[in-house]
Amino acid sequence: MSNLPVQEPPAAPPSETGVPKPGLTTALLQFPRNLWDSIFRHPLPDSDLGAAQTSFSNFFLHIHPVKVHRNTLRPLYTLGLGVMSFVTFVVLTITGILLMFYYVPSTTQAYDRMLDLRGSVAFGTFLRNLHRWSAHAMVAIVFLHMCRVFLTGSYKRPREFNWLIGCVLLLLTLFASFTGYLLPWDQLAFWAITVGTSIAAYAPLIGKKIQFLLLGDQAVGQEALLRFYVLHVVVLPALITLLVAIHFWRIRKDGGLSRPAEADLPAGGQPLRVEIVSGPAAGKRTFGLMGFVRGPFTKTGNVPDNSVYAWPNLLVAELFVFVVTVAALLVVSLLFNAPLEEPVNVLHPPNPAKAPWYFLGLQELVSYSAFWGGVGVPGIEVALLMLVPYIDRKVSGVGKWFAKERFLANTLFITFALLNVIFIIIGTFFRGPNWAMVSPF
Amino acid sequence: MNNQNISEKSGSSRRSLLTWFSGAALAGSAAISALANFVFMKPRATYGQPSRYSIGRPDDFPSGTRVSLDQRRVCVVREGSKLAVISTICTHLGCTVGVSDTGFACPCHGSRYDQDGNVVGGPAPKSLTWYQVSLAPNGDLEVDTNNAVSQGTYYNL
Repeated sequence: MSNLPVQEPPAAPPSETGVPKPGLTTALLQFPRNLWDSIFRHPLPDSDLGAAQTSFSNFFLHIHPVKVHRNTLRPLYTLGLGVMSFVTFVVLTITGILLMFYYVPSTTQAYDRMLDLRGSVAFGTFLRNLHRWSAHAMVAIVFLHMCRVFLTGSYKRPREFNWLIGCVLLLLTLFASFTGYLLPWDQLAFWAITVGTSIAAYAPLIGKKIQFLLLGDQAVGQEALLRFYVLHVVVLPALITLLVAIHFWRIRKDGGLSRPAEADLPAGGQPLRVEIVSGPAAGKRTFGLMGFVRGPFTKTGNVPDNSVYAWPNLLVAELFVFVVTVAALLVVSLLFNAPLEEPVNVLHPPNPAKAPWYFLGLQELVSYSAFWGGVGVPGIEVALLMLVPYIDRKVSGVGKWFAKERFLANTLFITFALLNVIFIIIGTFFRGPNWAMVSPF
Repeated sequence: MNNQNISEKSGSSRRSLLTWFSGAALAGSAAISALANFVFMKPRATYGQPSRYSIGRPDDFPSGTRVSLDQRRVCVVREGSKLAVISTICTHLGCTVGVSDTGFACPCHGSRYDQDGNVVGGPAPKSLTWYQVSLAPNGDLEVDTNNAVSQGTYYNL
């Protein structure tokens, strides 16, 4: 201990003379500065070292790597859909918590609370709009994010498991949205959930049990409302948060976002060959190759050469997507009010009774065949989606949109995605009373 | 040397056995805990509609009656001294079917049933459920929605 050249701070009292000790006034004057310095270890960076330190010494920024590949920042490659999904989730969490302060999950009170939100709560209508439209947006954006990942072949090795987590996140997103649908306890909610949970009951063997477990009763009622509420505000958000954390963590552990193999080559497009043919070193001294070669195989810490500092490049890109997403959600929420129909009337289903829009494709299929539409086809689709990285093992065509090498896979995927969209459109716009075909025009 | 080898071997097999047992115990505990959660989530008593309830005296339903009890979501049918209670929950997606002269019709997806609840049109996959009816000691008709009876099983008054 005594060996260390530590300078003891000048002892405080009792000496009256000597060095003026920092007084209270000085401390007070310096307080804002000292507080700021104690929070932020580094000033705003103006050097590479500073940029690196900013990323890894800040709690909120250290989720970023110090450097990211340029390809990651190409707006047209990712379309910002992953960040967008996360932003909608954050908006949903915040608005959801705020709404919880005024909501009661009771069949006798829930609908009145909806009216209160509209009538007497400050910003109540706006918050409900924001929550409702963000929920719809999240379902759509998560789906588009999946399309982006598939069509760029990004699910391939080593990202198979992250794709699997993504698929589970899509299902959780749908389920979170579905559970939230019941909470207003209006006609739309009640019959959408009655229809939706009846679809679940078509699953072989366990269908009825799943339905009973979900509803806590034979029919949609108080138990179902309470169960959906708990799932909606605690269980599903917690699961989503956990999986999102793993999803993000694995992006870095899997070597950043996918990119074409060429992207890891230096600017010239060819791997650098180091041949010392002249100069003092030629033929005289042995150099370790690591000291010379630039290219995909000499990276330390898997940082490619075509990379830029996360601060500020990645941060600015993320902020941009954040601002655009929030702005879009705000505009929609200010312009359009979330629907609220008549209070629940168990005796009179609306005609037609429709599930939420993202399940209307399913409902359309169910109107042809109950089992195949409700369970068989979607089950096979989900299983295929989850297993695709373990079926399609070819590594070619990664990192490019619509790569030629992946023509078959992409065509199959687009066909299935389009079919789902078409069924949703038919179910939403072309089905009238008694589920008869009607023209929306 | 040989001796030591043997003792190492037996020691490692004991260890692997213990490891295996511990692992199995942990996994088993986890499985039982998970199962317990499901048991907990499955209600033993429900607070909604009771599954056994009285619908009144037989005299309340004279012969020829076909009346829908909206709150109970059943239809009471009486022909002569025979009485039956048919569910009005559509077997397609759970909407309440309406009672008509020719049978039942669902307003949601257009399923149609005949007077006995057989599907005659629309997407419904199976016929409407018939519930067990009995006469309670106090003379009331009692319906048990937990007990379905086969179609055409009338209660003889």
